[in-house]
Amino acid sequence: MLSISDLHVSVENKEILKGVNLHIPKNEVHALFGPNGSGKSVLLSTIMGFPEYKILQGKIMFKGEDINQLSIDERVKLGIAISEQRPPTISGVKLRSLIELLASERKDDAFIEDMVERFNMAKFLNRNINDGLSGGEIKKSELFLAMVARPAFLVLDEPDSGVDPEHLKKIGAMINEIIQQGNQGKISCDPLAKNSGLIATHSAAILNYIHTDKAHVMLNGQIRCSGNPGVMMEQIRLNGYKYCIRCQQLIQEE
Amino acid sequence: MPTVNTGGIIMEHGVFINDMAQAGYLKVDYSRFKDIEKIENNSSTIDELNLEGDEISSLKAVGVNLYDNSLVGKFLIYGTNVYTSRPRIAGVEIIPLKEALLLYPDIKAKYYFKAVDREQDEVTRTAYKKEQNGYFIRVKKNVVVDIPIHTALFMHKENSVMCIHNIVVLEEGAQLHLITGCTSGCTLKEGLHIAVSEHFVGKGAKLTNTMIHNWGSDFVVRPKTATIVEDDGTFVSNYYSVKPPKNIQTNPFTHLKGKNASAKYMTVLASLPNTYSDIGGTVLMTGENSGAELVARAVNHGGTVNQTGLLIGAAKGVRAHVDCSGLMLSTEGVIEAIPGLRAMHPDARMSHEAAIGKIDTGEVNYLQSKGLEEMQAIALIVRGFLDIGIEEEGFEPELQKAIQQISELSGHGEE
Ligand SMILES: Nc1ncnc2c1ncn2[C@@H]1O[C@H](COP(=O)(O)OP(=O)(O)OP(=O)(O)O)[C@@H](O)[C@H]1O
Ligand SMILES: [Mg+2]
Repeated sequence: MLSISDLHVSVENKEILKGVNLHIPKNEVHALFGPNGSGKSVLLSTIMGFPEYKILQGKIMFKGEDINQLSIDERVKLGIAISEQRPPTISGVKLRSLIELLASERKDDAFIEDMVERFNMAKFLNRNINDGLSGGEIKKSELFLAMVARPAFLVLDEPDSGVDPEHLKKIGAMINEIIQQGNQGKISCDPLAKNSGLIATHSAAILNYIHTDKAHVMLNGQIRCSGNPGVMMEQIRLNGYKYCIRCQQLIQEE
Repeated sequence: MPTVNTGGIIMEHGVFINDMAQAGYLKVDYSRFKDIEKIENNSSTIDELNLEGDEISSLKAVGVNLYDNSLVGKFLIYGTNVYTSRPRIAGVEIIPLKEALLLYPDIKAKYYFKAVDREQDEVTRTAYKKEQNGYFIRVKKNVVVDIPIHTALFMHKENSVMCIHNIVVLEEGAQLHLITGCTSGCTLKEGLHIAVSEHFVGKGAKLTNTMIHNWGSDFVVRPKTATIVEDDGTFVSNYYSVKPPKNIQTNPFTHLKGKNASAKYMTVLASLPNTYSDIGGTVLMTGENSGAELVARAVNHGGTVNQTGLLIGAAKGVRAHVDCSGLMLSTEGVIEAIPGLRAMHPDARMSHEAAIGKIDTGEVNYLQSKGLEEMQAIALIVRGFLDIGIEEEGFEPELQKAIQQISELSGHGEE
């Protein structure tokens, strides 16, 4: 589904990603761990195509297509959606206006109405986008917009940070809804089919609600090790991220 | 004397002079005043009017529906002809000013050039000399009109000159929402429109005046408006420029004369290349505890906009706020925001804000990442910027569409 090779990315002329390799097959959701400032958000934003992230080298392949040159909205059309860690406030623009515009484009009113009801979004519709929303409310709003996009590949940047335990459950349900929904309105015949995704997170809590197939640890702009999400999270908790460096040294020595 | 060019603004003698003003844009060719067409003194009924389909749509786009059989009446000046449908509710009058002056001799002493100074300038002097017609609207004491009254000024002859004089009187406790559409239809290019409008808002009365302009690309427009508000009265002035003329200069003046009187101006305009819009607003507060708010939004697609506002606090307990903001969507053009405050009483509380900037690319990218195309994202942001909470209830759907189109204009003019 998504295949990244030797990706080098700079922000403000500073190289942040220094050769990322990552492969996420169809029907798999992966977790991305890593300390603050290691480059997780930069990687996710680069996948979405935000222009301030300049690709110096390497390739991002999505559904077999090189997407390096595609604009943000072209990537959305291909099926990528993002829930940002710190989305901007769009003053003066109500969430409702955006949703209505998207609904009329996609002729998807019934689905959107249904989701508004199910996830209790009505009270946010008349608020300006992200304006004055609490941390947890922003996560909900972001996930809701991702849901409306019906993506084949979901990019989540810390959907759980700052979310209380009760809301975490709801956030988990929203993510599962997006992952399970037939993407872009198409229902698959494969009973095991689900959408793919990449979730950056610091906590194991969200992983109790969402099944992730694999985890990766990013350190200083590179993915340094990969493995079982539960095991890796436990190791990080006990030994810190440096355990990952040790693992890799061991692998290299072998 | 050296001149410094500061991005389209010429600085001379330490004073900023807009270069278009410099180039004579602000001047009206007064010799054209001799061509002012005489508007007939009497009116026909709207049933006697024969409009083309696109003229009906042009009127709807400036908020005026002549055929909704409204109880509250209509008024239209179409070139030199006057059409009315008389209100069918008690306490509301809509008649041609000329007719009103004959019918009620006291109008002359009480209202005629009593808010607007006839010696103010060439335009007012001309309107006075020519004794032009217009509408006279009066709402009697305590009558609340809850459906908007539509009035329209329609110029349909190429290169004509229209001069109008309107008077609106709200007696004590009366309420009215007046929607006035001024348009040159969709085919005219050139003309001159001048108008004197005088509003009298009685004690505890409330007048909402929504003005919508849609002009041909070579029009020159000079509205002269003044409003007097008595104790506890409210005046709300909404102005939309759906399509700006080549040159408009207006500075509607309101005198909050009574205690607790209030005024609110809201102005929304888009400027196109080769247009000059100088849209101001002045509120003089001499009534104790009176309050004024002025909110102006301009989107620049390449013309010149002057947003000026002056609030003058000259009584105890007055409060005032002026907010002028501009969005530069083009590398061409100028927006100049001059929010002004003048305190003449130690108790006046007054504040202002002004912000001009370009559209935030981070916001555009964000909306794109949610599935909009770039142009849609920009239009949505602009629409949000222009949304200053004008009460749109009672607006024709065509008007709502026209307002929406202000934010969808791309960086080029017509043709
Ligand atoms: N727009 C930017 N301008 C300058 N530096 C940036 C920008 N975006 C990211 N960086 C830098 O890139 C590095 C990686 O940042 P990134 O946001 O990807 O970290 P992260 O792994 O997501 O951290 P966290 O866990 O705190 O969210 C940091 O040093 C950060 O300061
Ligand atoms: Mg981050």
